[in-house]
Amino acid sequence: MKQDISSWAAKYESLTNSDETIAAMAKYYTCVFMFDMEQCKVIIEMHDGKVKSINTDPGPLDAYDFALRASAVSWREFSQPVPRPMFHGIWAASFREDLKIEGNHLILMKNLRNFTVQFELLRKSGVPV
Amino acid sequence: MAKHSPVTGRYVTIDVDGKEYKVFYLHNGKGQPLICQHTAGCHNHQWRGLLEDEEITENYNVIAYDLPRHGKSDPPHNTEWWKEEYKLTADHFCNFIVKLCDALELKDPIFMGSSFGGNVALQLALRHPDRFKAVIPVEAADYAPGFYLDWWHHPHANAAQVCGSGVWDLMAPQSPEMDRWLTWHYYTQGSEAFKGDLYFYSVDHDLRDELRNIDGRRCPVIMMTGTYDYLTPPEATENTARQIRGGVYIEMTDIGHFPMSENHDVFRVYLKEALRIIRERTDNN
Repeated sequence: MKQDISSWAAKYESLTNSDETIAAMAKYYTCVFMFDMEQCKVIIEMHDGKVKSINTDPGPLDAYDFALRASAVSWREFSQPVPRPMFHGIWAASFREDLKIEGNHLILMKNLRNFTVQFELLRKSGVPV
Repeated sequence: MAKHSPVTGRYVTIDVDGKEYKVFYLHNGKGQPLICQHTAGCHNHQWRGLLEDEEITENYNVIAYDLPRHGKSDPPHNTEWWKEEYKLTADHFCNFIVKLCDALELKDPIFMGSSFGGNVALQLALRHPDRFKAVIPVEAADYAPGFYLDWWHHPHANAAQVCGSGVWDLMAPQSPEMDRWLTWHYYTQGSEAFKGDLYFYSVDHDLRDELRNIDGRRCPVIMMTGTYDYLTPPEATENTARQIRGGVYIEMTDIGHFPMSENHDVFRVYLKEALRIIRERTDNN
């Protein structure tokens, strides 16, 4: 069943802020990114390893550093407890499926260790699409 | 009482194309030599499970070396290597492996490598079919473009973490978390060599027009790829094996691009099958 986006945001924020792997190297994990899930978009602002805000209704001029865009079908695959092959990470899905990574790739690379961990938290939070 | 591993390490000095390398290798076991190449940007600890696998080392002399510039094998001591960009070529890679096997006096070794080690296994089967009893290219294909990227040593990012996390989802989510993080840890140690290794992997290695010249009856080629490998997906390996005379393809379920280090317990099941096929095809030779 599709989750209410506000409930999802609260759950994802809580999972992120309590994650020990992120906390182990939280300092300087500061960036802003968009998840474009086709049917909805969110902008997540991170500051020193914690969620500062999740904008669940971004306007056209709301800024972010980089964006991950894919179909709702793909996002549902990303959020499976054990994703199918090629939906098990952003590199796999961008090489083999419809995930597009756009914006400032350098900021993604600077934060790749923690972003990768945080992306996989979708397997616990599910997605709102 | 100290808990010593049966695995021991040694250095051997060899000359390859005028470059002097002091090569570090780990070994354990007896019988048929099985020499193992780690993946790009990594080192021989990837084979730690195999090196301590009592069943396999009972009959196989497992040797896992560090390619120069990786782990404990330094860059060449007789050249100012820091003054030129490192780009591994197919010629040099193959020459190195043959020279190392000669120095270790390995008779009819089986060569196994993963990723760029798998691709060089195909090169060896093409160039030196009589020097090796068989090859086991793991996570390999005739051509593997797309990974020769500047991100691996971009000075504005943490290259160690980019390499470690950039290869994270080459592994299967089912593989044990400890083993995936150990593989991540190994990758943080190899960032200076990773991009240069990938010059071979994604650029210089291209056997699309050469597969018909590999004779898997003369040097058996047993290819194995995991279902979670997005870089060399199963269909790429299968398509490669199909074009090699006598080529064999084994698909490994629920494992990724680093099978020996991300999940040795699963990998060994498929490896034993590959070794059985090699025995079957070579016992009468």
